[in-house]
Amino acid sequence: MKNKAQVVIIGGGVIGCAIAYELAKRKVKDIVLLEKNSLASGATGRCGAGVRQQWGTEMNLKLSIGSVKRFEILQEELEYPYDLEFEQTGYFMPAYTEKQVEQFKINIALQRQFGLDVQWVQPDEARSIVPIINTHGLLAATFHQKDGHLNPFHVNFAYARAAQRLGVDIHCHTKVLGISTEKDSIKKVSTDKGDIACEIVVNAAGGWSQSIGEMVGINIPTYSERHQILITEPYEPLFKPMVMSFYHNFYTQQEPNGAIIMGIGDPNEMKGYNMEHSLAFAKKCSSLVTRVLPPLKNARMIRQWSGLYNMSPDKTPIIGEASTLNGFYMACGFSGHGFMIAPMTSVLIAQMITKEELDIPEVKTKLDLDRFERGELFIEPSVV
Amino acid sequence: MKHFFDVVIIGAGPAGLCAGNILGNAGKKTLIIERDPFLGGQLLKQTHMFFGSRDQYAGTRGLDIAKIFQNELNSYPNVSVFTDTTATGYYPEEKILLAMKDEKELYEISFDQIIIATGASEKSLLFENNDLPGIFGAGAVQTLMNMYGVLPGTEIIMVGSGNIGLIVSYQLLQAGANVKCIIDAAPHIGGYFVHAAKIRRMGVPIYTQHTIHRAIGKTTLEAVELVKVDNSWKKISDSVFTESCDVLCLAVGLVPMSELLWQMGCDMNFVPELGGSVPARNQWMETSVRGVFVAGDVAGVEEASSAMLEGTIAAIGALKNLGSWNAAIEKKCVHSLEYLKEIRYGPVGEKIRSGLAKVEAR
Ligand SMILES: Cc1cc2nc3c(=O)[nH]c(=O)nc-3n(C[C@H](O)[C@H](O)[C@H](O)COP(=O)(O)OP(=O)(O)OC[C@H]3O[C@@H](n4cnc5c(N)ncnc54)[C@H](O)[C@@H]3O)c2cc1C
Ligand SMILES: Cc1cc2nc3c(=O)[nH]c(=O)nc-3n(C[C@H](O)[C@H](O)[C@H](O)COP(=O)(O)OP(=O)(O)OC[C@H]3O[C@@H](n4cnc5c(N)ncnc54)[C@H](O)[C@@H]3O)c2cc1C
Repeated sequence: MKNKAQVVIIGGGVIGCAIAYELAKRKVKDIVLLEKNSLASGATGRCGAGVRQQWGTEMNLKLSIGSVKRFEILQEELEYPYDLEFEQTGYFMPAYTEKQVEQFKINIALQRQFGLDVQWVQPDEARSIVPIINTHGLLAATFHQKDGHLNPFHVNFAYARAAQRLGVDIHCHTKVLGISTEKDSIKKVSTDKGDIACEIVVNAAGGWSQSIGEMVGINIPTYSERHQILITEPYEPLFKPMVMSFYHNFYTQQEPNGAIIMGIGDPNEMKGYNMEHSLAFAKKCSSLVTRVLPPLKNARMIRQWSGLYNMSPDKTPIIGEASTLNGFYMACGFSGHGFMIAPMTSVLIAQMITKEELDIPEVKTKLDLDRFERGELFIEPSVV
Repeated sequence: MKHFFDVVIIGAGPAGLCAGNILGNAGKKTLIIERDPFLGGQLLKQTHMFFGSRDQYAGTRGLDIAKIFQNELNSYPNVSVFTDTTATGYYPEEKILLAMKDEKELYEISFDQIIIATGASEKSLLFENNDLPGIFGAGAVQTLMNMYGVLPGTEIIMVGSGNIGLIVSYQLLQAGANVKCIIDAAPHIGGYFVHAAKIRRMGVPIYTQHTIHRAIGKTTLEAVELVKVDNSWKKISDSVFTESCDVLCLAVGLVPMSELLWQMGCDMNFVPELGGSVPARNQWMETSVRGVFVAGDVAGVEEASSAMLEGTIAAIGALKNLGSWNAAIEKKCVHSLEYLKEIRYGPVGEKIRSGLAKVEAR
């Protein structure tokens, strides 16, 4: 391992690998990426990998629309030999309360301003989009065809390979143990395999981002929360879009191979690093999902697992440089939707480090760490 | 439906059945879960006389041994048996074992002690078209023939010259099929000399240093391409030749079915001599997780006699944890441990011994 680098990136998930690539593409030399396990072993390899653009704020619309534009050309740009499995089969978002209907109306108006062709769906039209849906209690829904999903492993590996091709050193099974600073700048990163002198560090440690903050004495108010997910045997095509219900708090989707994945958020989940799986989840998730999609009652679950959401206090990521420590960049707190905005996040961080003009300049003042101290929480109405 | 048992045993092969009988005899509330409709595991396929160790059952057919165990089990009212029931998962958070009966009913089972005796599954090989109908594992061929009376085909090529490949070839010949040849990538025949000699006398050639190149067929298997390999197991490219056949039977070893052990968080070791990943265990067959025992092929692919002894020992270990320890059990236990040592003695047991040496004691 090198003992000197220009940039050290902590974390080999989609965020860290994408940042490594975007930096190398901008001709930054001597980039080292450190991953304590293997690539995609964190949230990325465990996620639902859904990509939606139906958001309720300008910021998230810009991040997600920009990311989908990147996803569309990514395989070619990264010269990746395999299919990233980008399928734009849409997100279907049902509303069950008047309040949701009102919110969705506001959202759709904003989304259309941004050029998204989002459909307003009446209950009697729902089955033309999701043939197996039970429309009982359904008041309305929104549907956007250009949302979709990808294979998260391939995306993670594609970025990593392209970064390596451009000279990035990736060290797996290398854990960052500490970071030394002097006044307001970084001196070196210590790992279980040796030290690396450097002045720029990117915290892309996902569920462990807060512990990286502790290493430099910065309080990152993120915390981790287990989210569970399960998958069934493959079936003939039953429904195409991701179905995401804020009311029931679930999402479900049939994968290209026919298997159906589904997950729920559990409001009683405790903060922490627990990554076990529970029977209570399997029961609750299947009962909620089959209420809305009854034919899935006969589907057989074959596997379940869990991963960590890195939650921020306003469920919106922290993207930017610390104001108290030069060269300490954070891309964390994605709160369960970091995969879908990884392409834009990585472009923005790379632009910050290379002092380029930002594609979304207001990120600097709205998604920075200090917003919490200023009391300027970022309010996104469309999060689970 | 929710259930509680003192001890749960998963798998009713020789290991699970022997464990069940010890616990039945000791009066413990015991459950045996078996995914097949019948009890006996691999024993049921074994229409041949038992080979190998100096076991009291040598010379008895496997399926008759299964009957003996089952009869004893039936005499214990404290032992419940769920057949057609698959243990599908263990949830450490809730300490619940989930099992599914007849693909319809779910059982939530909690327990004090558990013995995993799930056996092993067959390995496959990587080659072009290896999913064509007509390509079987040796165990599947045995099940079809010996349990259901169905001959899988008429022109057979067997891959693997270990005891299983030799025995299944012999059974196919007896059933009237034409075994065209047995191939093995290794330079020597893997199984016992007596079995190989019997096959050779019946006119079946055994090609060592050969492997399968690819399978050919539109909707079902029609032929295979075989190829020679050199001393480093590399294919010799100009040595490919074609043999027609409608069945390709793969007898290339077994791998412990350890999924539940992984789920339970047992420390696992990869030991090629034992067939794959096996749990660390102490002399009572207790894994690194207290109250979780293993027995039989899942603890390391071996043979039925050792599976029976390990089942016995694991059951005694569970009794010990339950505080049901007495002189009679102590005696049985010393006997079983000695017996196990004995059957692993000598050159035949060398591979197993070197494998076991690698399984860290906890
Ligand atoms: C069940 C589930 C479903 C999800 N579904 C979706 C979805 O549909 N759409 C979506 O957009 N998002 C989804 N997400 C969220 C998404 O997975 C994450 O936001 C995203 O993957 C974050 O990527 P990351 O690279 O920041 O984190 P990770 O992939 O977790 O990578 C962080 C890496 O840092 C490493 N690391 C940590 N500490 C150290 C250290 N000290 N030294 C070295 N390495 C370290 C970790 O090992 C890890 O590999 C889901 C998440 C879960 C758990
Ligand atoms: C062709 C052949 C010939 C053999 N001949 C001999 C011989 O002559 N002498 C000798 O000593 N050995 C012989 N053996 C080896 C011997 O049969 C095995 O070593 C022995 O059966 C292992 O016993 P076991 O109880 O560990 O596993 P098994 O006999 O494989 O039993 C395991 C049982 O667990 C059940 N099970 C697995 N998973 C689950 C689950 N999740 N839920 C519920 N049930 C489950 C299976 O259905 C099965 O019934 C032979 C093996 C083969 C394949």
